[in-house]
Amino acid sequence: MLHIEHYTKIYPGGKKAVDNLSLHVSPGEIYGFIGHNGAGKTTTLRAVAGVMDFTEGSIVIDGHDIKKDPVGAKRVTAFLPDNPDIYEFMKGIDYLNFIADLYDISSEQRTADIGKYAGAFELTGSLGSPVGSYSHGMRQKLALISAFIRRPRLLILDEPFVGLDPSASHLMKEFLAELCQGGSAVFFSTHVLEVAEKLCHQIAIIKDGRLIKNGLTVELVGDSSLEDVFLELEGEKE
Amino acid sequence: MKIKKFAALLKVSVQSMLLSSTNARRKSRKKAATGVGAMVLIGFLGLYMSGLYSAILMEVLAPLHMEVLVFVFMGIGALVGGLLFTTFAVKGVVFGGRDNDLLLSMPVSSSMLMASRVSAIYLENLVFSFFVMVPAGVVCALLSPNGVGRDLLFWVRLMIAAVSLPLLDTALSVLLGALTAFLSAKVSKGALGQNIMMGIFFAAVFYFSFNLNGMIQGLAANAAEVKESLSWAAPLLWMGEGIMGSWLRLLAFVLCCVVPFGLMVFGLGKVYRKAVTAFQARSARHDYKLSAQTFSGQKKSLLRKEARRFFGFPMYFWNAGMGLVLLLAAGIASLFLRDDLLAFVEIAGAGLLLPMAALVIGFCLCTCIISAPSISLEGRYLWILREAPVKEQDLIWIKVGFQLLLSLPCTWAAGICISLALSFPLWQAAVLLAAMSVFAVWQAVFGMLMGLYFPKLDAVNDTVIVKQSMPVMLGMFVPMAVLGISGILYWLGGLAAGWLALLLPIVLWALLAAVCTAVLVKKGPALLQAL
Repeated sequence: MLHIEHYTKIYPGGKKAVDNLSLHVSPGEIYGFIGHNGAGKTTTLRAVAGVMDFTEGSIVIDGHDIKKDPVGAKRVTAFLPDNPDIYEFMKGIDYLNFIADLYDISSEQRTADIGKYAGAFELTGSLGSPVGSYSHGMRQKLALISAFIRRPRLLILDEPFVGLDPSASHLMKEFLAELCQGGSAVFFSTHVLEVAEKLCHQIAIIKDGRLIKNGLTVELVGDSSLEDVFLELEGEKE
Repeated sequence: MKIKKFAALLKVSVQSMLLSSTNARRKSRKKAATGVGAMVLIGFLGLYMSGLYSAILMEVLAPLHMEVLVFVFMGIGALVGGLLFTTFAVKGVVFGGRDNDLLLSMPVSSSMLMASRVSAIYLENLVFSFFVMVPAGVVCALLSPNGVGRDLLFWVRLMIAAVSLPLLDTALSVLLGALTAFLSAKVSKGALGQNIMMGIFFAAVFYFSFNLNGMIQGLAANAAEVKESLSWAAPLLWMGEGIMGSWLRLLAFVLCCVVPFGLMVFGLGKVYRKAVTAFQARSARHDYKLSAQTFSGQKKSLLRKEARRFFGFPMYFWNAGMGLVLLLAAGIASLFLRDDLLAFVEIAGAGLLLPMAALVIGFCLCTCIISAPSISLEGRYLWILREAPVKEQDLIWIKVGFQLLLSLPCTWAAGICISLALSFPLWQAAVLLAAMSVFAVWQAVFGMLMGLYFPKLDAVNDTVIVKQSMPVMLGMFVPMAVLGISGILYWLGGLAAGWLALLLPIVLWALLAAVCTAVLVKKGPALLQAL
């Protein structure tokens, strides 16, 4: 589903944010991407989403090269940044329709999916209000709904649990699992290691822009915990 | 210590209001250029308005020893102009800054924060006041037969008036701005309400401007009566009398400015935190019932998004769409003032009518700057468009297309009305419409290019983007300069042949449109991607 090969990002000024990163995410897989602040997680996710250009390497999503066929790649993905700013001058329902229009989602499908996800996240009643009147959590939920209604082949999430209440977090995990059961994949970054350990089939750990470890969660963690493994690899635990 | 804190807050407020050109990561020279640009705009308008009308009024009133009325009218001009510049900026600068949470959490009192922001508004009004009052003083010194303008104390009194007047302006604009902020926060159709309010405001300004010549003629006939009838503007009358020599009247005027300003600062200081919270806190309703949704398609949906932002954000509509209103007003006015225009034909000669009609339409189009700030307005929302499966080229041309969707019909409407009013032959009407369409296309494309080259994605609020960001300044002044060059080309062409005079400006506009379109097609997507 997602093939990142020798991905390198150098910012203007010469700072190498990510260096020669390669990883593969298979259909039906939830892939966790962890690392300390400034390790290069967000830079990688933004490049995969086609929001940011990169220096070297290739990123292919469901057969679409993000550089050569960005529109094709974006058509099968949904990206949620860590702090999704949504047009405040739109009503919630207008924003969902706007996104649905950009992804050519039919009237029937969008009505059904908006009903399903907005109902589950208890946001239906507020969809008629301007986004400017939403709380942070409501905006996060709206952004999530806008991602799910696209039925993406690859869902890219940057710190998706920040700002969500426990029941919304639980719901999101269920929907992620449902999405993967349908053959899609999820690639997400998080600092909540317990969630990553329970949710992810595979995990990659990145440090200073370099991939230092990746593999199946069960193999990576073994008898230990992801927190221990992470701290050990980061050199913060003997 | 308090002064230091206040100075730091004032600096931030002034910077957020004026230095709003480019991304922080870009060169600071460009940032400074926008501040200078904003000042140039304010200065130019002030100088033009004051220099021209002070001279006209003084010529009429000085022989009647009624110079005081010049300062009254210039005072009214400065007051209205200041309100025009700052009332709708207040909502963003004083009440709606994105840095509200940050600054309100700092160890400074909310009244100090408010005072620093109000002071920034005062400084902008002060600049305009100086550019209006000082030329009036110069005109008085040159044209008044009693020599009052050449006395040092006259200038001291003028300076006191010029410094005091913006206090009154600021007090009024903060109150009106608070009302605007309240409307947009508490009224469901707040944007519509604000648009109507601004429409009435601008209609009054236009009415005043259009009738100024008649008023000046009336002044010549009965200046004394006009002065007596100005009781509704008593403080400004006191200001005029004060500048002309009465210290007591000047003191009364200064008190009229200082007291409302002091009351406003004191009162608002008490409730500032509450006001900022109330104006921001729009609570979501929970009674929406989901019904069947409809499919629109990418381009239609993106266009609708542009329209929602344009019509739903009064500051954007009235700053960037003023040209549309002017075009329609010019067209309709030409039909109603047909007899006056035809009388003018006899004086100016029929040959000048077509270029003058083009000049009027061109000037109106210069103030139609919708595409220029549209990229900067995406700001923190840019990720939505960049992750969407839409080509950069399409995103760019939809923004250009949105401006043309509004500006071309208004251009055609104005062109047809003016052609009918001036009884243009068919070929002249066709040339006018075609030429102005080309100009409109160039201006929209050029604005977009400026928006991409000088984006401001991290503005503290959207108001500074639509009021005085670099793309807006360039998108307005460069086309104005091109209009000026076109006038020179027309004159040069006219030396050789009449048809050449018409052809040269059109060729220039077509060339500019072609070059800018080519640059936008070639470099636009990369520029958008690089943001």
